[in-house]
Amino acid sequence: MTESKKKFSKKKIVAIVVWLLVFAALIVGIVLTDPLYEQEESVSEVMEDAVLHESNKADLFGMQVNPAVISGFVVTGILLVAAALIRIFAIPRFKRVPGKFQLVLETAVGWFDKLAKTNSPHRNSFLGAYIFAAGAYIFFGTLFELIGIPIMALSGASLSLPAPLSDINGAISLGCLSYIVILSGGVVSNGLRGVGRTLKDFSLPISMSFRLFGALLSGLLVTELVYYYLALSFVLPVVVGILFTLMHALIQTYVLVMLTSMFYGEVSEPHEKKQKVGKKAAKKDKEILANEVKI
Amino acid sequence: MPLNIDWQQILLHLLNFLILATGLTLLLYKPVKRFMKKREDEYAAREEGTQKALDDAKDKEREYEQKLSDADAEIAEMKKRAAEESEEVRSEKLRAAESEAKKIVDDARAKAKSEHDKIIEGVGDDIREMVDEMAGKVALSSSVDEAYESFLKAAEEGEKHEKK
Repeated sequence: MTESKKKFSKKKIVAIVVWLLVFAALIVGIVLTDPLYEQEESVSEVMEDAVLHESNKADLFGMQVNPAVISGFVVTGILLVAAALIRIFAIPRFKRVPGKFQLVLETAVGWFDKLAKTNSPHRNSFLGAYIFAAGAYIFFGTLFELIGIPIMALSGASLSLPAPLSDINGAISLGCLSYIVILSGGVVSNGLRGVGRTLKDFSLPISMSFRLFGALLSGLLVTELVYYYLALSFVLPVVVGILFTLMHALIQTYVLVMLTSMFYGEVSEPHEKKQKVGKKAAKKDKEILANEVKI
Repeated sequence: MPLNIDWQQILLHLLNFLILATGLTLLLYKPVKRFMKKREDEYAAREEGTQKALDDAKDKEREYEQKLSDADAEIAEMKKRAAEESEEVRSEKLRAAESEAKKIVDDARAKAKSEHDKIIEGVGDDIREMVDEMAGKVALSSSVDEAYESFLKAAEEGEKHEKK
């Protein structure tokens, strides 16, 4: 017993020493090779490019676009392939008592469906499908930047694909589309009155677009800043990744779908006609009141 | 455009999102929702069937209870009727027995009276014969006392003869 314990402790010590040596060698290697690579851009240029995407354009079927457009198509492709696989292999095997994966899917679909029904009780089937798609796009699109798929920019620089909605064009498109969806709900339910109700909140597309853009961009900027400096590239990205990516992916998904469904429910609520009180009816009421007073 | 806003890229993003929304709706959202709706309807139908069966069972229970209470009432009614009938039969028999007893008594009385009258009638003839005989003897005897003594003696003998 004592001999086996001694052997075990010896093995443990050897493993720890080997692991520490590998770790130290890697750090030394990283530090020694650092001077070989000079920073091509200053931190301000990196920040500016992250916001405006003016210098690092990418090629998409011959068009010069921001990398976020490519991110958007990649995210769409991944999500559609996943959805098709789920549709073909998982959904036909759904059981009455759900398993773990089925439960996740049912919970997600049920949550968006319930949100649509709660906020817009009169008209909600289209709204449910829309906020499900928008929620999936925002959530998985934001998490997509964690993967960091590298592409070559037209300038020759290597860059990792950002979140699709960290591009202002992506945020404007989703904000304006949400506004159009709200407007369509108002028109279908109440006609011109619905248009009036929707146009009353004319600042909505701007606020929705820039809220989304600002929230996602802030995460991107902090991540860029952290990755710019070598000293900050250990341990910290894990915390930053969780805090600024996972959390704001969840929060922004919730905010956009909640706002869209609330405004949609508000403008699609059927108009109730108020009963007009005629002069004759008012006179009759007065007479009845006078008789009661006399009695 | 300020902030590098590009209409072409906005339209590209829109196209991308519309493709995604259409695909997700057709491939994921609607099938999952349809499955959930189907299951919900199945459970609702089951619940409705169970509720209906429960209602039927309750109705039958009420019906049986009603039948039981009706049977109890019927049994009580029959018992009452049987008691009344037996009481009637008993009183009828009692009346018949009483009338028969009265008839027997009346017959016995009538028979006894006729026997009595018959005896009395028979005794009267004897007494008359005795009186005639005694009167003859008195008329023949010399003294009244003797005649009286002879009469009493003849009467005693007549009583003894009657007792026998």
